[in-house]
Amino acid sequence: MYSLSYVKAASLADAQKHIAAHPEATLLSGGMTLIPSLKQRLAQPSHVIDIGGLAEIKGIEVRNKALHIGAATKHYDVANSVVVKNVIPSLAALANQIGDPQVRNLGTLGGSVANNDPAADYPAAVLALDATIHTNRRDIRADDYFKGLFTTALEPGEIITGISFPQPIAHRAAYCKFPHPASGYAMTGVYVADAGDAIRVAVTGAGPGVFRWTEAEAALAKSFSAKSIAGLSMKAEGLNADIHASAAYRANLVKVMATRALESLGAV
Amino acid sequence: MQTHAAQHEFTGRREDRRLVTGRGKYTDDWNLPGQLHAVFVRADRAHAILRAVKTDAAMKHPGVVAVVTSRDIAAEGWKNPGTMVSYPGRGKPLQIPHHSMLATERVRYVGEEIAMVVAQTAAVARDAAELVEVDYEDLPVAVDVEAAMKPGAAQLYPDIVNNVCFDYDYGNEAATAQAFKAAHHITRLRAESQRVSGNPMELRGAIAAHDRASDSFDLYVPHQGMTIMRGGLIGIMGLTPDKLRIRAIDVGGGFGPRSGIYAEFPVLLWAAKKLGRPIKWQSTRNEIFMTEFPGRALVLNGELALDRDGKFLAIRMQWTCDQGAYLSGAGPFINTLNAAMTITGCYTIPVAYGRHQLVLTNTVPTTAYRGAGRPDMAYIVERLVDQAATETGIDRIELRRRNAVPKAAFPYKTPCNNVEYDSGDYATLLNEAMSKCDWAGFPARRAASAAKGKLRGIGMGLFVEPAGGGMAPKDQVTLKIDEGGEIVLHAVVQSHGQSHETVYPEIVAQELGIAPERITLAVDDHAGAGMLIGNGVVGSRSTMAHGAAFKVGAIEMIKKGNELAAKKLEAAPEDIEFKDGTYSVKGTDRRVTLLALAKDHTGPGPNPLDSMGEMPLARTFPSGAHVAEVEIDPQTGVTRVLSYVAVDDAGRIINHTIVEGQIHGGIMQGAGQVFGEHVMYDATTGQLLTGSFMDYFMPRAGLLPEIACYERSVPSPTNPLGVKGVGEAGTSGALGTLMNAVVDALRPAGINHFDMPATPARVWEALQAAKQ
Repeated sequence: MYSLSYVKAASLADAQKHIAAHPEATLLSGGMTLIPSLKQRLAQPSHVIDIGGLAEIKGIEVRNKALHIGAATKHYDVANSVVVKNVIPSLAALANQIGDPQVRNLGTLGGSVANNDPAADYPAAVLALDATIHTNRRDIRADDYFKGLFTTALEPGEIITGISFPQPIAHRAAYCKFPHPASGYAMTGVYVADAGDAIRVAVTGAGPGVFRWTEAEAALAKSFSAKSIAGLSMKAEGLNADIHASAAYRANLVKVMATRALESLGAV
Repeated sequence: MQTHAAQHEFTGRREDRRLVTGRGKYTDDWNLPGQLHAVFVRADRAHAILRAVKTDAAMKHPGVVAVVTSRDIAAEGWKNPGTMVSYPGRGKPLQIPHHSMLATERVRYVGEEIAMVVAQTAAVARDAAELVEVDYEDLPVAVDVEAAMKPGAAQLYPDIVNNVCFDYDYGNEAATAQAFKAAHHITRLRAESQRVSGNPMELRGAIAAHDRASDSFDLYVPHQGMTIMRGGLIGIMGLTPDKLRIRAIDVGGGFGPRSGIYAEFPVLLWAAKKLGRPIKWQSTRNEIFMTEFPGRALVLNGELALDRDGKFLAIRMQWTCDQGAYLSGAGPFINTLNAAMTITGCYTIPVAYGRHQLVLTNTVPTTAYRGAGRPDMAYIVERLVDQAATETGIDRIELRRRNAVPKAAFPYKTPCNNVEYDSGDYATLLNEAMSKCDWAGFPARRAASAAKGKLRGIGMGLFVEPAGGGMAPKDQVTLKIDEGGEIVLHAVVQSHGQSHETVYPEIVAQELGIAPERITLAVDDHAGAGMLIGNGVVGSRSTMAHGAAFKVGAIEMIKKGNELAAKKLEAAPEDIEFKDGTYSVKGTDRRVTLLALAKDHTGPGPNPLDSMGEMPLARTFPSGAHVAEVEIDPQTGVTRVLSYVAVDDAGRIINHTIVEGQIHGGIMQGAGQVFGEHVMYDATTGQLLTGSFMDYFMPRAGLLPEIACYERSVPSPTNPLGVKGVGEAGTSGALGTLMNAVVDALRPAGINHFDMPATPARVWEALQAAKQ
């Protein structure tokens, strides 16, 4: 780790002040990505502004029929929240599959979505559930938020304060993940959700960033069942290929995970 | 689980209270007054000429005390680290490339040590290390081992032609060729045993200290036996054994890599003397991935000749062994003689021949890794047997039965290198494994899996491996009475998970007929153990060697006590008998306990009961029959291990739970290689691609189901305990067993060969290719 200054923000306003004052500063929430990067000297911020403890951006509640989760809420709290389990059980199940117990007890929703790791789990939920990202400046629709590999619509100094997830109809939402054998991240994760007026299928891990599988969405709009996508095949072009797996393998996983998500809902 | 260990009482290991309550003391837990901190500058490319190493900016950095490069140590005239090879190859001996510890005119792998920065704190040293400027002139790289030995490949050393540093052969080449000519059937297989990383939980580190008054050194370091580490370092630095104390209490995993003499150590020792202050160095996990000696890295070509009845006529091996850029001490040995000892596996094969070529590449040097050549040999032999069964149509179990060395044939002399298997009963191992796993019921289980769209497979590995041996001619131990009258044991061993503190006292207690709690194994006691002759904790040897020596020493102590008891009880020595820790005069109630005698004779000098035990070098041949059943999901390529049965002959068992633990660990380490572990380099740049746990698969507990272990012990005649080695047997069994199961699952899909690792992606790709 390079030498840096640590600032524990007293409030959101305080954090904004520090971020504005130090152009080379970075925000710290759970630190599950930032701390390893710092330790390996892959990041060299002048300051880390710790917003992980701010009560004003923590917590889980139902607001306007949507599930609102504060940005600094830990994965463990989402996974074990009775409210989340009642309103969107598949979201609680997703949170319970992130990393390991240590990671789930430190990592936060806002941190994950702000970082937008192409293999993170939460972006699939945000995109499939058509969630809204609330920041200190504005609200951003999921479709406008994710911009590819580690890139988002967030502007310098913009801080995620929470995310609102509309409730799918009749609990028709499921996430199926194929964990990377080494890291445990999503080699491919597919979140299928039926909002009543629209079906969304979001894919994480397989490509350079989370994306919607629109062919599957169209097929499922006709009939919400695994059979509907049986004839589809995801194209390998543009998907990730590395030492662990080919793009063709990931393309196959997209379909298999989507099918299994549907099967888990009884939509065979 | 009705395994054997469950039938025996286990009261825990003595070392566990310390270890599980965070009171273990590892290298990083030591700190010496006035210590400085070191960080190493490493090569960021695989093959390049070093044009300049500029240290001025680093030297000027506040807090930096010294920056050491090869220029500073050149005058010392350090020798090459030794290797364990003392035998010739085909035509010429092993060529050992010079390793100067800090790179001189060239770097040959990513991570090679170039300079050491010493500073007041580790953080300062790390900052300053980035200020060391290295000018390189890139050279072409040799990474793939088979490509590296072809003419035209990049050459690492001008005098090592085609990068082949050793061309070792064994057995009878002509007779084997003759047998192959006469064979009814020949099975051939090329299989890879990919490079894997040891990755002990404890990072590599050291503290070097120099005592000016005695001109001697202390090195605190995680190691696998003080004589290995000391012998290696004094050989490099030209010291005598009394000038270097190797220090450790707890070592967090060894697995072979920690038998290595790493370049950092002599440089740290040298600088500690030069600067007159202790120097501490602690690696990062990234440095472990980059520079800790990995294992395997072999291409195994095997051929098996059979007659019409499926009798094995001959076996032939041709191995290509990736040694990395320099030679580790163990690397050249494990890939030649160590592996060659079991070329015929568990089978009666009249002739055999093997040729193993050791090749240098622009990668980190390889070394012993749990099994150290034996799992690879067991793997290729057992894969060949299954393949031969498929090709000839003879049932794979029947084929093993027809060829297994019969119990009556022991001691069994193999056709190569005068190797003699001490004892065994392979037919019983095989039969037990078959019955415990319900082999007969497999077809129905396979059909049930097929109905769910899954591919089910079952595989057996019947294996034997050598344990023991060593570089020192014998192993000495001492049993001493301390000032409180308790028994203290000394040996040159260093536990890195072997439970020495529990087992050695149990061995002595059993012989002396007293409670093991009255006996303690001394740890980090250089005065007590430092000058004993003995080998390290390698080759699954420490119970059969040091453990047996403790038994010999205990017998000696009883004999010495007999004289003392006779005096005390006023009787003739021949009238004294010893039972359950007590001497008594035959036919009377006059008695004295051994411990009371010990207490009587405590004083300023040595106790007359102090004893030494010795064992000459010996080898045992532990064996086993393992069976695994797997189920493959063809949609994802995921292989699930459904069951694993291990029937092992580890000789007589001292502590059943600890032996079972060793087998579990060995099997899991094998499963890691089978299902995912793989150190990968970029073939064109030599850059390491698996530099962290984000990319390097380590097995997790969920990889295997509960392992069912059974003991079928045939005592070894080579040592008074009757024990055999067990630390590596699980790994030797697991590779062939699990891969035979995987291939068995894949055969119905038209796949008859598959190389490790069986990752989901690789299995899926193979299934897709088979559909074409």
